[in-house]
Amino acid sequence: MPVSFIVQMAVSGALMGLVYALIAYGFQLTYATSKSLNFGQGELVMVSAFVTLSIMGTGLPYGVVVLLGLLFGAALGLVVERTGVRLALEQKSEGWILLTIIIGLFLFSFAENVWGRDDRPFPTPIPADPIHVLGVDVTGLELSVAAGVLAVMALVEAFKRLTLLGKAFEAVSADRDAGELMGISATRTVMLSYGLSGAVAALAGILVSPITTVGPTMASALVLKAFSVAAVALKKTGFGVVVVGLLLGALESLASFYVGSGWREAPGLLLRLLALAVRPTGVFGKAVIRKV
Amino acid sequence: MKRLLALLALCLAPAALAADTIKIALTGPYSGGSAPMGVSARDGSKLAIAEINAAGGIDVGGKKLKIEIIERDDEAKNDRGALIAQELASMPDLSGVIGSVNTGVVMAGDKYFQEKGITKIICPAAGSKSMTQWATPDGPKQLSIFRFAAHDGIQAAMVVEEAINRKLLKVALIHDDTNYGVSGRDDLLAQIDKQGKKLQVLTVEKFKIGDKDMTAQLLKAKAMGAQAILIWGIGPELAAVSNGMAKIGLKVPLIGGWTLSMSNYIDNAGQNANGTLMPQTFIELPISPRAKAFIDAYHKAYGVTRIPSPVSAAQGYDAVLIFAAAVRQARSTDSLKIRDALEDLKEPVKGVIATWRKPYSKWDPANVETHEAFRREQVVMGMVMDGRVVFGSEADKQRLAKEQQ
Repeated sequence: MPVSFIVQMAVSGALMGLVYALIAYGFQLTYATSKSLNFGQGELVMVSAFVTLSIMGTGLPYGVVVLLGLLFGAALGLVVERTGVRLALEQKSEGWILLTIIIGLFLFSFAENVWGRDDRPFPTPIPADPIHVLGVDVTGLELSVAAGVLAVMALVEAFKRLTLLGKAFEAVSADRDAGELMGISATRTVMLSYGLSGAVAALAGILVSPITTVGPTMASALVLKAFSVAAVALKKTGFGVVVVGLLLGALESLASFYVGSGWREAPGLLLRLLALAVRPTGVFGKAVIRKV
Repeated sequence: MKRLLALLALCLAPAALAADTIKIALTGPYSGGSAPMGVSARDGSKLAIAEINAAGGIDVGGKKLKIEIIERDDEAKNDRGALIAQELASMPDLSGVIGSVNTGVVMAGDKYFQEKGITKIICPAAGSKSMTQWATPDGPKQLSIFRFAAHDGIQAAMVVEEAINRKLLKVALIHDDTNYGVSGRDDLLAQIDKQGKKLQVLTVEKFKIGDKDMTAQLLKAKAMGAQAILIWGIGPELAAVSNGMAKIGLKVPLIGGWTLSMSNYIDNAGQNANGTLMPQTFIELPISPRAKAFIDAYHKAYGVTRIPSPVSAAQGYDAVLIFAAAVRQARSTDSLKIRDALEDLKEPVKGVIATWRKPYSKWDPANVETHEAFRREQVVMGMVMDGRVVFGSEADKQRLAKEQQ
């Protein structure tokens, strides 16, 4: 087996892995500030993609369309926060689990009724032709996914580290109560995190749609894998999810080749098992000691 | 007393009126992933019904009766299909049912039609199991279920035949892990054996619904030197395979089941779909006056320039013509009599796919083909070219054009 084939597979898999990482990043952003996450994140990805597709139908230039799509995603993120998360958090209940699932189901039915259940192609100016880089074939689409994912993560991370608002974000992530005592509004910060998370979901939808096509179920497989990436990474920065996402994607591709294509999902499942076995305090853990 | 009788007559009037039409139910998935097939079949059927009604209806024992349509959307859901079948089977004056795409829906619902003796033509699709379920020693001696679709066996035979004819002897087999994909794989492997094992299967690979990165499976095929990819799957994943082949520079023919002609494959694979080969019962090209008239009528009636699923539309159209011929011959709207007529149609039916001469015969549990209309010669190889399906071979085109003159 020539080495170039192995590299090709690892690269193709890893590029898909970056999409898992981007969706996982959306989970991570809200989990950091509020210890809650949106179980309807996949539907956010899907609805944003559909809305972007509809805006594209008006003939606006691609750049403007993408920008509007991201704004819509952010707005939808805020809606989720207001309707599904805020009250539950104020009452320190776990109601957001059910509420975000309900919002997700609602968005799913909404999309089915408005745009129908067919998978549609998502036009993009980025060429789908293969490019030969260092003995590996990649398509322009895959490269755009990689570039988009890394760029937006770098931007958000820079924002968190370099701006005042970003520092507030970090403060609330570190300790919500202490942050409040310092005069930082935790509610606003959580809003910000949900807005960002929504924009990230929209970006994931826009980037991945030309490859996956747009349909109500487009994100259901992706979001599960993204979830396992988020659960395993569990760090506060985006770089953890990128590494885990890349690894998972490459592993899937290689397992499909060496173990058999029926075993493609096995690495992801093992990863999840491992995460829960080694780090039982994973995403849902409550073992963190809270000082009273 | 007279007044009472008059009142009674008045009450009976609607029932008497109902008997003045031939009630046919059209069912199928009119929404959801299988909708292109369901909707095209329904619209094709309605076209035939409209033509029959415009000509005054069907002559049933000296009286011209029009066809009345009852339409039900099963949403490709098995439980919906069962409910609809129960509802339709309980209608006292239903003459027959034409429809269904999904194997599961057929398996859930058809038993009710069989129980009540309602004649049903399965059209435009459904897997082999929809007929073989009746072909058991303790199965029914009289069967009311007919099928009007190119079954997977014919399709698999043609796919293997095509690869052999094109001298593509080293093949990779790729399929999805649904019932449809797995049974397609088995059909293909069985056909390879049956046709003298001329094909060497290098590798058998699978993928899941929703998978988008097929690089690993395709690279394996490339590394082993595959000369063709034989595939059994549905819609968007087929497109993912086609796009993946373009990416890694695997320029070999993609040959598979008729799902490769569905719009969600052709649209999503774009240019990469060119050259894909699949069995077709109808090609949307005006090769004969009959085909041209049908295509023009469909485009005009539904305001489209491309039929979502031409195969389904043409099958829906021809199924109605065959059913109508059976009603005429039976001289009755009684479903059991129509069944007997279907099993022994005297007059040839000039359809848009072919001229049907005795499409069905008396049900024989040992031979499912007695209730199958399609034979190898009614199916041709289609090829995708610039967003449309054209004839895969010029010979087929000439043959059909000549036959339909």
